[in-house]
Amino acid sequence: MTFSRFFAFLAPLLAPQAVPLAAQQLVVSDQPENVSITIYRAPDRGERAIDPDWPQGYALITETRTVQLPAGDTMVRFEGVSEGMFPESAIVTGLPNGVREKNRDARLLSPQGLVDAYLKRAVSITRTDRATGASRTQNVFITAGPDGGVIFESDEGFEALRCTGLPERMTFPAVPADLSPRPTLSILTTSSRPITAKLTLSYLASGFDWQANYVATVKRQPPGEKPKMDLFAWLTVANGGKQSFENANMMVIAGEPNRERHGEQPRPTGGALQIRCWPMQRTDEVPYNPGYLPPSPPPPPAPMAMMVGEGEEIMVTAMRRSGDRMDMASPVAAVVAEQEGLGDLKLYRVPERVTVNAKGQKQVAMIVQPDVSYDRIYVARASEHSGDSTPLSYILRSRNDEKSGLGIPLPAGNVAVFENSPFGPLLAGEGDLPDRAINNEIEIVVGQSPDVRLAVAELRRTKSRAYWRATISNARNHPIAVEMEIARDIAGRARGVEIVDGVPTWRVTVPANDEARLDYVIRLR
Amino acid sequence: MRLLGFAGLLLASVATPAISQSAPGESAQGDVSVTIYNNNQALVQDVRTLSLPKGRSKQQFPDVSAQIRAETVTLSGPGIGIVEQNFDFDLLTPAKLMEKAVGQTVTLIRTNPATGAESRVRAEILAANGGVVMKIGNSIEVLRDDGLPVRVIFDRVPPNLRARPTLSVTLESAGGQVPTALSYLTPGLGWKADYVTLFDEAKQTIDVQGWVTLTNNSGTDYRNADVLLVAGSPNNGRGRGGYPQWPTGTIDSAGTETGDRERLGDYYLYPLAERTTVANAQQKQVSFLDVTAAPARKVYEYTNGWLGSSDAASASSVLKFSTSRSGGLGDQLPAGIMRVYMRDKRGDPQFIGESQIEATPMGSAMSIRTGEAFDVKVKTVVEERTRRSSSRWRTKMRYEVTNARPEAVTVDLAQSGLWGDVRIEQESQASERVSADKVEWSLNVPANGSVTVTATFDGRY
Repeated sequence: MTFSRFFAFLAPLLAPQAVPLAAQQLVVSDQPENVSITIYRAPDRGERAIDPDWPQGYALITETRTVQLPAGDTMVRFEGVSEGMFPESAIVTGLPNGVREKNRDARLLSPQGLVDAYLKRAVSITRTDRATGASRTQNVFITAGPDGGVIFESDEGFEALRCTGLPERMTFPAVPADLSPRPTLSILTTSSRPITAKLTLSYLASGFDWQANYVATVKRQPPGEKPKMDLFAWLTVANGGKQSFENANMMVIAGEPNRERHGEQPRPTGGALQIRCWPMQRTDEVPYNPGYLPPSPPPPPAPMAMMVGEGEEIMVTAMRRSGDRMDMASPVAAVVAEQEGLGDLKLYRVPERVTVNAKGQKQVAMIVQPDVSYDRIYVARASEHSGDSTPLSYILRSRNDEKSGLGIPLPAGNVAVFENSPFGPLLAGEGDLPDRAINNEIEIVVGQSPDVRLAVAELRRTKSRAYWRATISNARNHPIAVEMEIARDIAGRARGVEIVDGVPTWRVTVPANDEARLDYVIRLR
Repeated sequence: MRLLGFAGLLLASVATPAISQSAPGESAQGDVSVTIYNNNQALVQDVRTLSLPKGRSKQQFPDVSAQIRAETVTLSGPGIGIVEQNFDFDLLTPAKLMEKAVGQTVTLIRTNPATGAESRVRAEILAANGGVVMKIGNSIEVLRDDGLPVRVIFDRVPPNLRARPTLSVTLESAGGQVPTALSYLTPGLGWKADYVTLFDEAKQTIDVQGWVTLTNNSGTDYRNADVLLVAGSPNNGRGRGGYPQWPTGTIDSAGTETGDRERLGDYYLYPLAERTTVANAQQKQVSFLDVTAAPARKVYEYTNGWLGSSDAASASSVLKFSTSRSGGLGDQLPAGIMRVYMRDKRGDPQFIGESQIEATPMGSAMSIRTGEAFDVKVKTVVEERTRRSSSRWRTKMRYEVTNARPEAVTVDLAQSGLWGDVRIEQESQASERVSADKVEWSLNVPANGSVTVTATFDGRY
């Protein structure tokens, strides 16, 4: 204790200085000049929507930065990088003698970090008198902390911080060199002479995602012609991080690159000072109260202002009166992302520079394919139980080839199908599309039709055979195409039933306002 | 008090060397070497020069790992004998300070909330249970019972409470400046490899850079340390680290070449070229491998499970290369993650997928699955299932492999789940039975074309 008191007097001379270790010079690169960002879909997200708070995909961020390197050993510290960075994926190129080491430090500047750095060192304590406002500063020496509280030594003796009821604050002479405001990436390099280096820093970072959002607008065709739709797709990207990327080259990757579970990251140190004093119970607090009070419930949300104005309703009424509305056309895209192959993946490049905002979502057109021909097919699977009629689902089926007006890679995404009606364009349904290569078949499940129904019934049964009848009724005023799968062991041949991919399938056209019947026999074991 | 402080100053000037932690960034560590294993374990060797008195003395060793496995500590040096080793982790906190002050006298400074005037009084601490009970003069009080501010000043801190867990060793010595070697094991330090692979599809080559990535979560900095990385996970004798690793499926055939690197028994050693500081909460990467233009080729693989059917599942794109000295990377590879990049049309590298690799001997044939191919898809159909007898089924399968790429590709199509006794009755193309339960077809699929394979299996399921 005597040593430490001695030290307290010398403290100002020995206070920590913000100098890096050894003979390294510190160069801070605070922002990139040029950013490219390539966004990858969340693996295994499937049909779920992008999580806007923290998108589960990732991005490859490539930045160019110019730094002035002095001769000798230099530490280059990179600031303004995405907080979701996977530091082990960082690649730095453009240095004359390469990178000696890359470091990512996560000792954070915080109340705890300061006490930890100043343990056994001198700081000052200032107490302000509540009555007079006068303050008194004392040089003290931290004996213990920051775990469980802070104990310091002054020339009066040992005291515990903030156990007195007096306003007390600690003052530190300088920021310890190895604490930083946020986790920081730095590299060590060396140069024989002072140079200006143009560095490229690239890294993978979490907190990004993208998907394709298709809008299929069914065209009104004269009866008898092959149905057509306009297919349009938005490229929707999401950035959940705090870092915006201004004026960036933006790309997205379609396909499924493999991702591994990444290893353990260093846990950032630091945080709030947690001060626990000695027992503080007073005589009126007996029996023992653990001192814990449940948090008060959050205040009820303020009542929502009634936002629906009358004016809006009037406007809608006025539009209805105007009779037939204009058919919806796909949006006209001035900028469309360009597609190129990248190995076994597809890369879409936004041809202009864009700004990807922090906590934001952005959409750019990626696919514009007018006049895609398709078939509208009602699909069903024959039930194994007799029962009442059930509505059939209908799908839009096409082939991804030039003949159908496509023939381009179609990345996975959600499809919203609109049909034009006397009331304007209406949403007919929403489906999902997986990644589809050229020449693959495309099927979009749109919805169910209450007008087209299937009823199956067992008519009679013997020991080895069951005799079934399927009836499809069509209440629409035009013929429809139906495919019904019978995923069972069919005996003999039924007219109109063929084996498609191993499954007996009944393909039939049901005339307008009519029915179609199929009798089939199931083999019993 | 003042007098005591002055006396202390005199004393201190004699004992200054004992204050080893004076300036920031300085550490009580001596010449430190850190050997890090793959399984979150490290051996720290620290040579410190101690100034020892003659006879028995207790020496403290600050700045050891905060997670030190105290039972593994060894201290050695010329002419010293160990009496005992202690690892004390009873931390000094305000509550402990008060608890240990029971029976002692402290100074209270009370502040008048109206005037700010201070008054001092001595108090004896009687108990610290829930509240602090004190004796002041002849009366008994509870500390801060009125809620008014009171400073409590202790004359001393208890001797065996510390700010940090501390290792101390009592030893016997002939005295003098003695270099002592302290060694111990600690968790919280680990490493793995990270590989950056740039694939050139046109030239069919890869450039591979290997980085060792070491992570320090041990709570302590190791300053200016000599770092050695050991590619291996020694069993730590407690049955925790000893379980066998899952194979990652990246080694097609294990190599038989011996590398030039230094080794320790069955483990390869990767010493860092220069001394470095391994700071707490730091991840550090240092290069250990740089190979350019090693031959590599890309193939596609798809494995269908028994009775599996799918509309259009993507085949996996697989990168194949060798770690052989001739025509390969020419090195053994420590376990880690290999990230693969390719240049886009503008020449910028883009990430195309990654794969975990296990420790791989030199001379191995490797295959790295980078992801699923957008343009190469496999449609599998169970065409027909016929029951032949109570225990045999005949299964007819059809596989359609489509290639939307503008060049021909090779697809290794496998059917697994054959349970050893499944026979192929008929197949449209000759297959290879790679193992009892797996059969493989190597298919050349033309550019923008497709290939169909059919096979009829006879088996129990």
